[in-house]
Amino acid sequence: MKLKQSLITRRNFLNSLFGGWAAAFAATFISPIVKFAWPPYKEPDEVKLLWTDYKDMKPNEVKGFAWGAKPGILKRSADGSFIAFVGVCTHLDCNVVYRPEQKKFFCACHDGWYDEEGKNIQGPPPKPLRRLDTAVEGEDFFVRKPEAKA
Amino acid sequence: MRKLWFGFLLVTVSLALVPLEAIAGQEGTAPNVKDKAQIEAAAALPSGRTGESPAAQAAPPQDVKPAGEVPAKPGALPSGRAGAAPAKKPPAIRTEPIVPAYQNIKERSAVRVFYVWLWLSIGVLLYFLRWWVQEADRVYRAKFYEPVESPRKDNPLPPLLGE
Amino acid sequence: MSARAVVNWFVDRLALKPILDYMHKKEIPQHHHTIWYYTGSSILLFLFIQIFTGILLALYYQPTLEGANASVGRIMTELPLGWLVRSIHSWSATFMIATVMIHMLAIWFTKSYRKPREVTWMTGFVLLVVSMMFGFTGYLLPWDDLSLAATKVGTNIPKAIPVVGTWVTQLLRGGDDVTGDTLTRFFIFHVCVLPLLVFAIMVIHILLVQKEGMSIPLKDEVEKKKLPWLPFWPNFILRETMIWLVLLGIVLTLSVLFAPSLDLSADLMAPAPEGVKPEWYFLFLFQTLKIFPANMGPVTGEFVAVVLILVVIMAIFFMPFLEAKPLGKRGKLVTYGGILGIIYAIAMSIWSLL
Repeated sequence: MKLKQSLITRRNFLNSLFGGWAAAFAATFISPIVKFAWPPYKEPDEVKLLWTDYKDMKPNEVKGFAWGAKPGILKRSADGSFIAFVGVCTHLDCNVVYRPEQKKFFCACHDGWYDEEGKNIQGPPPKPLRRLDTAVEGEDFFVRKPEAKA
Repeated sequence: MRKLWFGFLLVTVSLALVPLEAIAGQEGTAPNVKDKAQIEAAAALPSGRTGESPAAQAAPPQDVKPAGEVPAKPGALPSGRAGAAPAKKPPAIRTEPIVPAYQNIKERSAVRVFYVWLWLSIGVLLYFLRWWVQEADRVYRAKFYEPVESPRKDNPLPPLLGE
Repeated sequence: MSARAVVNWFVDRLALKPILDYMHKKEIPQHHHTIWYYTGSSILLFLFIQIFTGILLALYYQPTLEGANASVGRIMTELPLGWLVRSIHSWSATFMIATVMIHMLAIWFTKSYRKPREVTWMTGFVLLVVSMMFGFTGYLLPWDDLSLAATKVGTNIPKAIPVVGTWVTQLLRGGDDVTGDTLTRFFIFHVCVLPLLVFAIMVIHILLVQKEGMSIPLKDEVEKKKLPWLPFWPNFILRETMIWLVLLGIVLTLSVLFAPSLDLSADLMAPAPEGVKPEWYFLFLFQTLKIFPANMGPVTGEFVAVVLILVVIMAIFFMPFLEAKPLGKRGKLVTYGGILGIIYAIAMSIWSLL
């Protein structure tokens, strides 16, 4: 079916061509700039530590380690196994501290409390502390992201 | 004038084929800066770990380099190389200058695609802009948008574009 | 709610109508020297590129002795297309200073500095000096051996100025020697002090250009010839956009093709590296200083050279007053002086590279 008059004027068509190409041209600059200004922060998938540093930990003792840019917390339970947490409060990202005498983790920013398993029990934190998996392989002590998430 | 435009496009496309890098003197294969730096850096570490560094290089370095792996047109441009090890931190003190160079054929081709895209876009945009300029000139000569108190009454008409 | 309605709302609230009317009415004379009118806006293009890439670089750059070189290395290796941002910043700097020089030479040879444009000329000359200071301070920031040595030489030169010399050098260096303090100081000059200065003086310069209107060639002015002219908006602006696109393409092509490398971090205690030289726009000054002998009578050769250079700078700065009759003999002398100056600068620059 041939229309009597075009739906688009020649002027509009050409202007749109120009604008479209100019936009595409500009877009080729936007993407790299965005990537440059917003660099991705990658958390490590695993961290390798020396087993000798941690094998003599007593139950209820806590030691820190570096999990990328965040503090990690290694806690030895009563039965000798290790629990690894990302030592960052789930409320607003302050670093938490372990109070051995109360067997609780405490966040000083807004009075948040977690029990010895990392579960949030009091205060504003909405979720438990993030858990990480641990594994001992010979001389090395690995702390890894949990399998379910990987 | 049309010949000029065709010539422009031809030059742009052929630029993609001419190895410009040969003119620039930057060969991607030559300074393998990464390996030398890695070996020197490894030599600085206690001897027990010397064996690790070359082994660490067996892992393809492309994965961990965040330098533009997205297949956008200018996204895979050559990245600077230094003694950056894939699986561990780079040596604390750099021992080699950083020279920007291509890592693989993908980067090399991406640069040529970028050149073609850049100059093609500029050519197309200039083409349209010329039309706009011609129109603006004609509109002005026809005194189409004259306000009442125009100071243009005594203006001799300027030459049209291309005259 | 069309785009036009939104724009009109802003124009109404911000009282922009006088500016828009002015842009429609502003006239660009058409003659065989019109092409030089494009140099001014090209400088603006390069300045915007510099500001933009400069901000991107400053996101990751660390202006300390320990961190400077490593942070530039990080920009070049870890950050996506960081090497390109740095390359564009470096090349656009070259282009900007070259365009400022071409702009100045165009004004010089068309004698557009004459009455009533004296202050425009003087602010323009100050802008040239500020641009070269931008280049000088920026050159040190990667903190590698060559730039450290070039900065040591460069900041030594003001010492030869009588009375205030040592004080100027101490201000530039943050002490008697080039140290980490110098680096931090140069960084603040480069990103804060000089930008504010350049904006302030540029605003005066551009406002004066608008007030005086575009200058026309001397002969046409003397003959009171009526030249055809184009409106600034949209005719001239569209042509400027075309020029801007081509310049942008050239800068990008050169930035990708000839990206600068990064040498090792500077060692303050190491001997000067070989082949110390400043950026190209300082080469002729550098060579001029080198050709003077160490001792000339009661003063050092450096003192004589610096005094001579200062005299020439003052002469150029005050040229509108020195040469009041452009069509007379003095006017011709100035033109020949300009040509001689260009030949001198180019010859000296090439000599210093040999």
